[in-house]
Amino acid sequence: MATTSLLPNSLSPFLTNTTSFPSTHFPKFSFLNPLDHPHCPKRPNLHTTHAKKKNPWLDPFDDGEDPDMEYGSLFVDGKQDEDDRPPENPDNPYGFLKFPMGYSVEIASLALKVRGDVRRCCCVVSGGVYENLLFFPVVQLLKDRYPGVLVDIVASARGKQAYELNKNVRWADVYDPDEHFPEPAEYTDMVGLLKGRYYDMVLSTKLAGIGHAAFLFMTTARDRVSYIYPNVNAAGAGLFLSETFTPDSTNLSEGGYNMYHQMVDWLARPSKTVPRQPVPPLKVSISKKLKQVVESKYKNAGVNKGKYIVIHGLESDSKASMQSKGDTDSLLPIQVWAAIAGGLREFRPIFVIPHEKERENVEEVVGDDASIVFITTPGQLAALINDSAGVITTNTAAIQLANARDKPCIALFGSEEKGKLFVPNTEQKNCVIVSSKTRKLKDIDIEAVKNAIPIFNMSLALV
Amino acid sequence: MAEAIMGFTISSPHIHSSSLQPTKLDVTHMTSSTRSLRQCSSSELFSGCKQLEIGKKSKRVPLSRTNAFPDWPLMAVLVEHIEGQRDLITHKSIVHLSDDNIKSVYTAYIMFTCWGCLFFGSMKDPYYDSEQYRKDGGDGTGHWIYEKQEDIEESARSELWREELIEEIEQKVGGLRELEEAVKKEEQLVK
Repeated sequence: MATTSLLPNSLSPFLTNTTSFPSTHFPKFSFLNPLDHPHCPKRPNLHTTHAKKKNPWLDPFDDGEDPDMEYGSLFVDGKQDEDDRPPENPDNPYGFLKFPMGYSVEIASLALKVRGDVRRCCCVVSGGVYENLLFFPVVQLLKDRYPGVLVDIVASARGKQAYELNKNVRWADVYDPDEHFPEPAEYTDMVGLLKGRYYDMVLSTKLAGIGHAAFLFMTTARDRVSYIYPNVNAAGAGLFLSETFTPDSTNLSEGGYNMYHQMVDWLARPSKTVPRQPVPPLKVSISKKLKQVVESKYKNAGVNKGKYIVIHGLESDSKASMQSKGDTDSLLPIQVWAAIAGGLREFRPIFVIPHEKERENVEEVVGDDASIVFITTPGQLAALINDSAGVITTNTAAIQLANARDKPCIALFGSEEKGKLFVPNTEQKNCVIVSSKTRKLKDIDIEAVKNAIPIFNMSLALV
Repeated sequence: MAEAIMGFTISSPHIHSSSLQPTKLDVTHMTSSTRSLRQCSSSELFSGCKQLEIGKKSKRVPLSRTNAFPDWPLMAVLVEHIEGQRDLITHKSIVHLSDDNIKSVYTAYIMFTCWGCLFFGSMKDPYYDSEQYRKDGGDGTGHWIYEKQEDIEESARSELWREELIEEIEQKVGGLRELEEAVKKEEQLVK
């Protein structure tokens, strides 16, 4: 009985203080007027552009969106707010309640759930540097579509390095989703970590079977969105996922630049009053520190800013060659590179080696005065390309970085189709694609590459 | 100890007690070159030893073991006669140890030495007594492991975000300034 007498006393200052909150937040509390909002469909987000067969296991009573539904005043139109924290209230008896961004529990109303607000999003990205680099537009799209969303990344150790170039990402954690049998300790650790961050949405680009789907399910996110296997391996995965995409082949990377197009389609889908979100281009940002480090590196190699051409795609068994998983034939031996670099007149070629053991080979073939720089991370490669006059490369991350930084680029591909896949709209990007006639990169026409070299001078003239 | 002495027992061929005391074979035979002494050593090592009546005409029983130093005395008794006083008797005995026991003794010595080095070595040490060693470990967070990498990268990324924002603002401001300058030039041209 003592508690009942104490309760109003302890609560009264708080209740009086609620008036100091802006009144716009107040009507969002749907429990105040439940009759106003009689029926909420559980998953309005699943209204996709493709008419997809629903999984009856998920919710047998989900018949899709109700066309006759009237959204009451509780439903807030448009996109979510950037940061919906209430103003700080020093008079609050509970002290200075300051929740971190994205965790403001006290005003997350049901209507916001209906609208499908995403405050924290986790992206499990499969693959290496190339795949993660191509995921950048998706991250930007998330940021644009859900203002104020905190994007976290879970990627392999190699792929994680790419996020040095991305300003939109909060945490990037190392966990290789491609590993078939992860160490139990790592697995449980990551599940606990992700669950403890209370994500609203989990995106996964790994082709999910039932195992990976269960992993995503255990993060307890509201939207568990993943690619699934296009074959029988996907059996059971749909049970744990709220949205699935079926790729055309078992290798997602074969889709080239637009390898995540299904996911992008779904993320950019128009909702009630929000139009379709345009997909941003790939952009990378390079920090000052990175630029300084790389500048000292290429100064040591004996070249000056803007006076060199980056040559990337040296054949090596190193893991740092930054190839795409969708194009395995994408490295050239140093002899071919030396022949190509011989065609450069105004600029000095700088050879990027992915491993120190390659230095000898390059010096042997090109000569001892060759400019060689040892770079393994995409961040440093991007900074190197940023200060260069242009890039000659095979199908490695260097192409995408050059395009992202608007540098002229000669891209060597094994076949024309691959070139079109990985570098769409070539003209805009100031990029020349030279492809091999025999569908083997080794047989590439060196003269054709040399003929394309004037592209660097043109860009110089323009500047 | 009885066994310890056994290995080096010098048994005189003339004197043997095994026939007399077959059960006491293990017991050390006290042999001495001076037969007058029929007495065990008074040292503690031989406390278990019984005084043996050494048979004068014992059989020669060949022993299974060979004696390395058959005629070495194990004991020596010096009797000094000093007139007007009692005799001064100096009684010396030599103890021989077996290989195993020598090893044990050395082992004990080494172990003691090592323990002593460790124990006494750690009694007073400027490093172990210093704040360097004695202070609370860690970085002050009280955590067992420090997963700082993600935090460092996260702060680097937010720094990058701020840099980009500043760049954008500068570009916009620069564009505005160019516009203003162009307007001014036009105004000047008009004037």
